[in-house]
Amino acid sequence: MPGKDRLKQQMIRDLVRENRATARGELPARLRRRRRSVNGWLLGGLAATLVVAFSGAISSTAARYAAPRRRSPAGTASPAVPAPEAARTAPQKIDPSLFRLAIRKLVIDPGHGGSDPGAMAGPGLEEKTITLDVAERLRALLKDAPISVVLTRTDDRSLSLERRVEIANAENADLFLSIHINSMPVPDRVGIETFYLGGATDPATARFARDENAGSGYSLADYKTLLEGVYVGVRHDESRQFAETLQSGYFRALRDVNERVQNRGVKTAPLVVLVGTRMPAILAEVSCISNADEARRLATPEYRSALARALYAGVRRIVEPETSAEGLTGGAGAPPSGKGTS
Amino acid sequence: MTSKKSEVLQVGIDLGTSRSSISASNGARHVVDSYVGWPVDMVARKVVKKSVLFGKEALDNRPMLDLHRPLERGLIKEGSQKDEEAVRELLGHLISLAGAKEGQKVFAVVGVPAEALRVSKQHLRNAVAGLADSLMIVSEPFAVAYGMDSLLHTMIIDIGAGTTDFCVMNGRYPTEEDQRTLTNAGDAIDEHLATLVRNKMPDGRFSIYMVRDWKEKGSFVGEPKGPVVVKVPVHGKPTELDITAEMRRACESLLGPISETLLDLVSRVEPEYQEDVRNNIILAGGGSQIPGLAAALEKTLDEMGGGRVRAVDDPVFAGSNGGLAIALDAPESDWESLAD
Repeated sequence: MPGKDRLKQQMIRDLVRENRATARGELPARLRRRRRSVNGWLLGGLAATLVVAFSGAISSTAARYAAPRRRSPAGTASPAVPAPEAARTAPQKIDPSLFRLAIRKLVIDPGHGGSDPGAMAGPGLEEKTITLDVAERLRALLKDAPISVVLTRTDDRSLSLERRVEIANAENADLFLSIHINSMPVPDRVGIETFYLGGATDPATARFARDENAGSGYSLADYKTLLEGVYVGVRHDESRQFAETLQSGYFRALRDVNERVQNRGVKTAPLVVLVGTRMPAILAEVSCISNADEARRLATPEYRSALARALYAGVRRIVEPETSAEGLTGGAGAPPSGKGTS
Repeated sequence: MTSKKSEVLQVGIDLGTSRSSISASNGARHVVDSYVGWPVDMVARKVVKKSVLFGKEALDNRPMLDLHRPLERGLIKEGSQKDEEAVRELLGHLISLAGAKEGQKVFAVVGVPAEALRVSKQHLRNAVAGLADSLMIVSEPFAVAYGMDSLLHTMIIDIGAGTTDFCVMNGRYPTEEDQRTLTNAGDAIDEHLATLVRNKMPDGRFSIYMVRDWKEKGSFVGEPKGPVVVKVPVHGKPTELDITAEMRRACESLLGPISETLLDLVSRVEPEYQEDVRNNIILAGGGSQIPGLAAALEKTLDEMGGGRVRAVDDPVFAGSNGGLAIALDAPESDWESLAD
């Protein structure tokens, strides 16, 4: 069939062109096209966002956030437009304390679900069930708080990491909290820890990130695009603050009911759900299923309520910093009685 | 470098995470497990009597070998010179199996997981430089589509060990937008199954190679044809264990991510061609042979108006046959331009 033959010839020509470019050490043309469009999107999106916040300094600030331009490969035609001065300078951070804005919506993401049970301890005790239960209890506790709460899943269903990110972004949330249960190689430890976006700081965290990112639904190219789109500075700092405040509030509250719990602190990890979300985002490992005693506790509704109440204490410190300071000692930040308990 | 067609041996190679195959213009077809092992010391060298072992032979002698599976998760492991060397040895071995005559030129098309192509194409070119007189590297699902003449309104889902690669053929050489890669693939099933079996029988002792073997013999999605029973050593004693439920759960863990990606890619096709694509979904790679998988994916398509999913007839050689078809169709001048 002549049409099909022509089609094949064209495909082979494109294939050869791409291989030739690689052999010369150039980025293939189709990749160059994609990069340009990503940069264009970034520049446009950021300019639109920042025009509201920085009406005086829009041009220089937006240019700082734009990804640096790729130099054209040698021998290819490109318009001789000099790069703007701002585009050649490193991105600068914005002090997040400049924004005293209300937090109105929290997306809670119960980790795992459906065919992905997450960590397990013996038959019947699975991370996916516990995270959903704790998330629902936390939502119940936050019912009267001045924020709306959305769960990424409300039943036992498979949900890719990509979909979780999409839900949070579509909801235009102010904060994203992914709830997980730790599993550690040393069974006598009960470590709780909170992650925000950044590089893996140790081999264990790198392994953790690899496992948690499995099944994200993103290709590596998508992931790189997401990384290129990460807000420099502001979102990162807000995520760190969110993580630190929640971890300390959570740990203090949980230690009251379980003195064996160990504070493993706040860490950074390159987790897909933290990269793709457009709001400050953290992933909290709120318990540790690999410890036999902790697993027994996790099987009880009372302990899951305790976890939810401890998370509530952490979230209140973020949402209402003034009132929750006293709340931690029994004032306004204390969880409402009778809600979210077993 | 002009040469008569008969003076050239064209080969298509499917360089896979789990298995690699070669199809040559002289009719030769071979497949080897993608394992490469070097004897760990002089004693091991004396026992195995070879400087390097491949495939099942390498796996069987693994206690004496520095064993490598070079394309873990579809990529040459970054920074590992040994894995680059393993890729090179494996390709050299495959080309030698094809039986090029003395002085005969070899033009090779090497199909790799789309992820390897995207991330380390230059790396791959360097690793295989000098093994063939001229070389093209293509994404595996494209090679499969080309070999099957399915170049228009078709989706290839190549379920390998390290990655599941999606490619929508729109009548043009596929761009990044037409392709996706997931790490939910054969190895992920093995790891999931191992975890489930370990939880069911904490005292059982088994290796990932045993789990892989269980999966290859008993995988299924949906309803089982019969119980899946395996033997697991417990305190040294072989003990029978029914893993039907665990096998189903591990295999069905692929369904969610694959269905989601499939539906997403279909929804991005031009509206007037979406039905054609839905009715031309081809499963390739080892995972395509999981009983019940095609039917389960068809069920997913019901919510979009239905569709047809079928598996390739020859999953072992579909990729290398496609590579060979490209090699035979590529004009001499193109090969010349890519010669080392």
